Amino acid sequence: MSERTIHLDYLARVEGEGALKVRVHDGAVEDVELAIWEPPRFFEALLRGRACREAPDITARICGICPVAYQMSACHAVERALGLTVTGPLRDLRRLLYCGEWIESHALHIYLLHAPDFLGYPDAIHLAKDHPEAVATGLALKKAGNAIVAQLGGREIHPVNVRVGGFYCAPSRDELAPLVPVLEAAFESAERTAHFAADLPFPKVEEDYEFVALRGPEEYPMNEGEVVSSRGLRIPQERYDEEFEEVQVPYSHALQSRRRGGGPYLVGPLARYALNRDRLLPRTQRLVADLGLEPVVRNPYRSILVRSVEVAYACEEALRLIRAYTPPAAAWVEPPEGFAGGIGRALTEAPRGILYHRYDIAPDGGIREAKIVAPTSQNQSRIEEDVRHVVTAQIDRPEAELAEACERAIRNHDPCISCATHFLKLEVDRG
Amino acid sequence: MHEETLFRDLRAKLVEVAEIEHAPRIARVEIWLGALSHVTEDHLRSEWSELVKGTPAEGSALTVVVSEEPSDPRARSLVMRSVAVATEGKAA
Repeated sequence: MSERTIHLDYLARVEGEGALKVRVHDGAVEDVELAIWEPPRFFEALLRGRACREAPDITARICGICPVAYQMSACHAVERALGLTVTGPLRDLRRLLYCGEWIESHALHIYLLHAPDFLGYPDAIHLAKDHPEAVATGLALKKAGNAIVAQLGGREIHPVNVRVGGFYCAPSRDELAPLVPVLEAAFESAERTAHFAADLPFPKVEEDYEFVALRGPEEYPMNEGEVVSSRGLRIPQERYDEEFEEVQVPYSHALQSRRRGGGPYLVGPLARYALNRDRLLPRTQRLVADLGLEPVVRNPYRSILVRSVEVAYACEEALRLIRAYTPPAAAWVEPPEGFAGGIGRALTEAPRGILYHRYDIAPDGGIREAKIVAPTSQNQSRIEEDVRHVVTAQIDRPEAELAEACERAIRNHDPCISCATHFLKLEVDRG
Repeated sequence: MHEETLFRDLRAKLVEVAEIEHAPRIARVEIWLGALSHVTEDHLRSEWSELVKGTPAEGSALTVVVSEEPSDPRARSLVMRSVAVATEGKAA
């Protein structure tokens, strides 16, 4: 034996984050298992013993796309435990920051991940060659969202200005003013995006979802609201653990959520829109009417359209908040004295859906126990159902085409695995 | 946080190279670790034997080159630089 050296310079890629095992018997789909291989990261264990004021910055590191969501849920949960309520301009600034994250996250998903699926391109780079104006619109929108997050958070990714009780530093009116023309232009881009999305060719599919989202007294939900569902659930956030549970399935690293005594449910844009359409602001309401968008969208492929509507809403809401803004007397509020320990729970609406945090905090402010339930894990069981329907309808297709169809079905819901290239490895056992 | 999938991708590439080269065995592998790749040499070495078990690279010698240059354009990456395949004939 001798040796021959091959020079590769091969760059390892994050690929194959998920696997889909399908068992077929007598031509019928018997079982579908969606496995997520991303290893557990033990953030909940990492938080034990840390000061509760650190939770927003530690948990923000869970996601580079939606760090604001983690900061918001962490702040609200810790504040509930401490008996602290943030109101007025500080509350509005949090909502404004969330608008920035919705815009940047949704724009990324619409143009870089989802749109290429409909137009037959493998990715946004190929899409840009034939539709440069579409990708330019997406990047401009993302830039507008980034501008809000950078202004309020100190930087675009993993903002550092959020703290329990408010912000480390609150902006002046003059500092927010340059965002107005940016967001006016972004609203127009969002309208173009929605009309672009409306013209995409949608497969004819209807799913029987139980939608779950927050719903507050007035606004489209971001930071607050009761937990409501399309099947009549209406509970305060404190009761989330009584109604929902996470379970470990043997074939996946990721936990899956379901209603206790019930089944899978869906969170995210389709759920928020179905349960809060009446809370959209006037310009966005007109856009919805122009589009002829149905009041409840059950076709998962049309989530790109609902996501576009939410981008428009976030731009309109951000403009409203900036125009009404009066700087707070202080950038943060301190919790009341005499904390004796306690548990705080909170849900906020991450771009992908409701994000739950619960902290058990000791009298000295140290975290005794933490629980975090991300939207991806809440949707995973329901996504598995969607994929089961795709596989059942298309089981005779070659496996490469079937894998692509399943990836599309998963990408409808924007789970965190979907930005990995060719994230799904398909294995069909045809019996 | 994506070490596991990065490692699996490297394993898939090794299997692919062995197939293309009709090589029964891979003798050596050289991997370059970017300064910002969040993968340490110890981590990679500790996973290596399990990673390549059952592949033509089982028992291969692993060379790890650790970059300390954070401004390298590939600083966040793992790069498989070269693979030495065992061949039946004489070395080329």
